[in-house]
Amino acid sequence: MTNLPKCENKKLGLLIDLDICVGCHACVVSCKEWNSSGDTKQLSDINAHQKEPIGTFLNHVHSFEKENKENNESEPFYFPKSCLHCEDAPCVTVCPTGASYKRPEDGIVLVNEEDCMGCGLCAWACPYGARELDLLSGVMKKCTLCVDRIDNHDLPEEDRVPACVKSCPTGARSFGDFNDPNSKVSKIAKEREGVDLMPEMKTKPVNKYLLPRIKSNFDKEFNEEENSDLNVSGFLSWVDKALDKL
Amino acid sequence: MHPAPSIILFTILSGFGFGVIAWVGFLQYFSLISSLEVIAFSILGGFLAVIGLISSTFHLANKINAIKSFSQWRSSWLSREAVASIVSLLLVFINLIIVYFGKNTVPLIGIIASLFSIVTVFTTSMIYAQLRSVPSWNTLLTPFIFILAALVGAAILLRPDYALYGLAVLLVIQFLFWLYRDQTEKNMKTNISTALGFTEESSIRSFDKAHTNQNYLLNEMVYKIGRKHSRRLRYLSVLFSIFIPVSIMLLVRFDTYVVGAIVSVIHLLGMYFSRWLFFAEARHAVSFYYDRS
Ligand code: SF4
Ligand code: SF4
Ligand code: SF4
Repeated sequence: MTNLPKCENKKLGLLIDLDICVGCHACVVSCKEWNSSGDTKQLSDINAHQKEPIGTFLNHVHSFEKENKENNESEPFYFPKSCLHCEDAPCVTVCPTGASYKRPEDGIVLVNEEDCMGCGLCAWACPYGARELDLLSGVMKKCTLCVDRIDNHDLPEEDRVPACVKSCPTGARSFGDFNDPNSKVSKIAKEREGVDLMPEMKTKPVNKYLLPRIKSNFDKEFNEEENSDLNVSGFLSWVDKALDKL
Repeated sequence: MHPAPSIILFTILSGFGFGVIAWVGFLQYFSLISSLEVIAFSILGGFLAVIGLISSTFHLANKINAIKSFSQWRSSWLSREAVASIVSLLLVFINLIIVYFGKNTVPLIGIIASLFSIVTVFTTSMIYAQLRSVPSWNTLLTPFIFILAALVGAAILLRPDYALYGLAVLLVIQFLFWLYRDQTEKNMKTNISTALGFTEESSIRSFDKAHTNQNYLLNEMVYKIGRKHSRRLRYLSVLFSIFIPVSIMLLVRFDTYVVGAIVSVIHLLGMYFSRWLFFAEARHAVSFYYDRS
């Protein structure tokens, strides 16, 4: 049923730190790899090795630059985006076939591919562009929060996290339960004021983002250091003064 | 949004077809048309509605599951539309049989079919109007213009005397809709800053999109051509859908359905432009992630 359940036990999701993401796309690659192998159907690519390739991905990394108002310089940052597993997920309620659903036990938003008719309405309803229709299999694909890893008791405990979280070399993605105020993700999100994307869309995303901190004013500090008097005494101080006079 | 011809044709043809059904039931109830006309126009309306519905299945990537779309009417407008259109068509069919066997004395089924067909057009329009992700659709003007267009279009064929007033109202609503669209576009609550979670508006631009080539999101939801030709297409649209039909109506006497049919086709051509713009001009929130300005 595509009505939304109340998820009172758990709200599983990702905490993404834009301050330390280096835009390496490791999460994009490992997501595609994990979700194209094993039990899941292929995330298809068309013209993979020719001109104009087009493919399906569940996770993207965008690159932005933001103006630093103090020194008019641009500060680049990288922005990974996958499904936010919204509490009030518009993509679920619009689905006519019942293929889209939100798991009551942990709030993960999933598509049952056996039921999907590929109408694409859920992709229209998602403001974030987190759903893509697979052009070869004709069904809707989206981030599953790697349910086939986190629920998989054949995997060793430390591997029961999403592929993208596991592969991120900087630890910019963490996985956890946002309903539990004592979980690591909840604590960090609270401490560093994690934000929602497009709060005006009233989707109540579970995933939270930590915004890039303003970079230190490197150039200014460097120049100041260069021009300040050296803090030396004795013989070195005499050399310093003598050199200044030259 | 990508203006897929299959969806545009579907909304126009099924809208017109259900409009015809709505008028037939109404006119039949007040004994304003003959049994023969009821039969002929019920078949025409039903036929167009079915053609429209078939064309809407062209954009389904996995048609085999289309039958499952009747199941989620509790939450989904698309599912409600599927159910409502089948109910209307069934009612039309029952009415047709009753009239065919000469029992036009109980025109109740006809008027129920007529109400259901308006409900069907309403459900179609709500598929778009419900989407918060496309702010310029997310207004009551959307169902209003869909229902009005369906009724006015069919009136050109069946009751040209009413259609004249209808077209005048349609002109006003059409301009209101475009005004609303331009205003929402200008004052969008969503922008690149909110899309990335910043609380204050900051100057941000994308310097590299997330993928080197086109993808489903760009093809489907980030359509740029619509805005470029917007003005010209708006003029063309009202010229064909409203001004030419009105001029012909004022100059020529409608004593046969042939003139009505020709004018309806001209009107629908204009509506095609209008519907094309409805999609092509609508800005989806995801486009902000690709904002380079
Ligand atoms: S991010 Fe999009 S696809 Fe994911 S739950 Fe929210 S609306 Fe649905
Ligand atoms: S594409 Fe599939 S999952 Fe999405 S709304 Fe249509 S039927 Fe539901
Ligand atoms: S949780 Fe899994 S499916 Fe979702 S983005 Fe990460 S790797 Fe992809």
